[in-house]
Amino acid sequence: MEYVYTLLILIGLNMIMAASFNLIIGFGGLISVAHPIFFALSAYVSALANLHWGVPIPLAIAMGALFAVVMSVMLSLPSLRVSGDYLLIASIGFQLGFVEVIKNIEIAGGASGLSGIASLYSGEHRSLAFAFTVLVAAAGVVWLVHRLTHGEYGRAIQAMRDDEECFASLGRNAMAIKITIFGVGSGFAGLAGALYAHYFQFLSPDQFGIVQSSLILTMVVVGGMGTTAGPVVGSLLLTVLPQAITFLNLPPSVMAPLQGMLYTGLVLVFLFLRPAGLVGKTVRR
Amino acid sequence: MSASANPSAAIRVVNVRKHFGGIVVAEDINLEIAAGEILGLIGPNGAGKTTLFNLISGIHAPDGGEIFLRGQPLARLSVYRRARLGIARTWQNVRLFPTLSVLDNLLMGPRHYPGEELIAGLFQKGTRRAQAAQSLERAQAVLARLGLANAGAKTPGELPFGQQKLAALARTLMNDGEVLLLDEPMAGVEGQVYETIKQVVRDEAAAGRAVCVVEHNVSFIRDLCTRAVFMFNGRIEQTGTVEELLASDKLAELYFGGMK
Repeated sequence: MEYVYTLLILIGLNMIMAASFNLIIGFGGLISVAHPIFFALSAYVSALANLHWGVPIPLAIAMGALFAVVMSVMLSLPSLRVSGDYLLIASIGFQLGFVEVIKNIEIAGGASGLSGIASLYSGEHRSLAFAFTVLVAAAGVVWLVHRLTHGEYGRAIQAMRDDEECFASLGRNAMAIKITIFGVGSGFAGLAGALYAHYFQFLSPDQFGIVQSSLILTMVVVGGMGTTAGPVVGSLLLTVLPQAITFLNLPPSVMAPLQGMLYTGLVLVFLFLRPAGLVGKTVRR
Repeated sequence: MSASANPSAAIRVVNVRKHFGGIVVAEDINLEIAAGEILGLIGPNGAGKTTLFNLISGIHAPDGGEIFLRGQPLARLSVYRRARLGIARTWQNVRLFPTLSVLDNLLMGPRHYPGEELIAGLFQKGTRRAQAAQSLERAQAVLARLGLANAGAKTPGELPFGQQKLAALARTLMNDGEVLLLDEPMAGVEGQVYETIKQVVRDEAAAGRAVCVVEHNVSFIRDLCTRAVFMFNGRIEQTGTVEELLASDKLAELYFGGMK
């Protein structure tokens, strides 16, 4: 049962990551790879706030998510002000750079990782309670992203993605919308990161590399960019599928490349054959 | 033209200049458009007509000079702030939002769009709903006025080109601004759509807006404009009545290569 709970927790966390990344890249059209780093920054802040300052875990989780929002503004404000293209370049630097920074912070455990993080729940039903919490959080995030991207605000996001210059010429503040959705999306990534820290109780900087960016992107693309259900389907499929392969009992030297090929292959197949993803509809332009 | 303030001028462009590298796209531009006036902007391709629109609407920041809207300087304001003050424009190539319905395109057009204020929206749901209803009513009225009453639910791609032009004009009218900049409203348009656009331009000026039209269609300019400006190589070569300009040898030489 423990295995099933852990799988559900991973599905929930990935769902939060995919839904929030979809807000940024799918709905907002903001091309960034720095999503796992906000997960990581928040995970570390939350873990350390609890570990060293004794901040209660729920409050520490909120602090972590808030920290992710603040850091996202630090990335998006200067790079979006120049031009949207700079966001991608700056985000690569941000993603790679901060992983190195974490590796060199002694209080965060350095390259060997941070252990001894307190768990959000204790007792024999810890995993069940945690799975429930994560899935409720995931449902909440998916719902909030849906609310944000539909209705009046959603219409503005969509128009901005279609033609930003024209959008501005109508009196719309594109910059404010971009920074907002980038901040909200990164904050959700932070939420997932902090939850992760207080369940698995161990963090290692290598977990949050740029490979994670491609995994989350795969979930979004396969599910359907710019749709509400897409990241839900994508995260479910791409969390369960690699687990299913582990039942084949292949040696690790075959397993790792196989999973890599699976992700890359899926992205290529979908981009060529079904760019709208599993649930997306093709929009006539 | 003198740069001195004319009280009836809605918009005043003073000594505006813009270079892209070594290329002069606007040099020493001085221009006034009065409320209720329809000013024609003519000149060959590359003369700087659209660039002038881009300078007024804020797409390009001028290298020098100033632009005043009812005395308020605009040159340092961003595109969206100028639009919110009442600078409304269309584009040569339509530029409707392709994934939005025609009605939703119009709903993005008012100077004030409460939907983009996320935090405020959480606390004033009632006001917000009333504003949205008002906006929707106005958009439907504008669509009806331009003969697009049945096109609201369609996406721009589903409309013939003429109706796309009308929809783009309709979206610009949602701004309800003092200044209306129309970039080749007649290009690729004929028949009923042509007549509709002509009537709309006339009505908008009559309603007190300062209208400026870039247009190659001489009969359109002649029918609507009392005054016109001839641009060439980023400069204003001549200003006068349309008849004066059309009779000018200089214009004939620069525009038509000497043939009249």
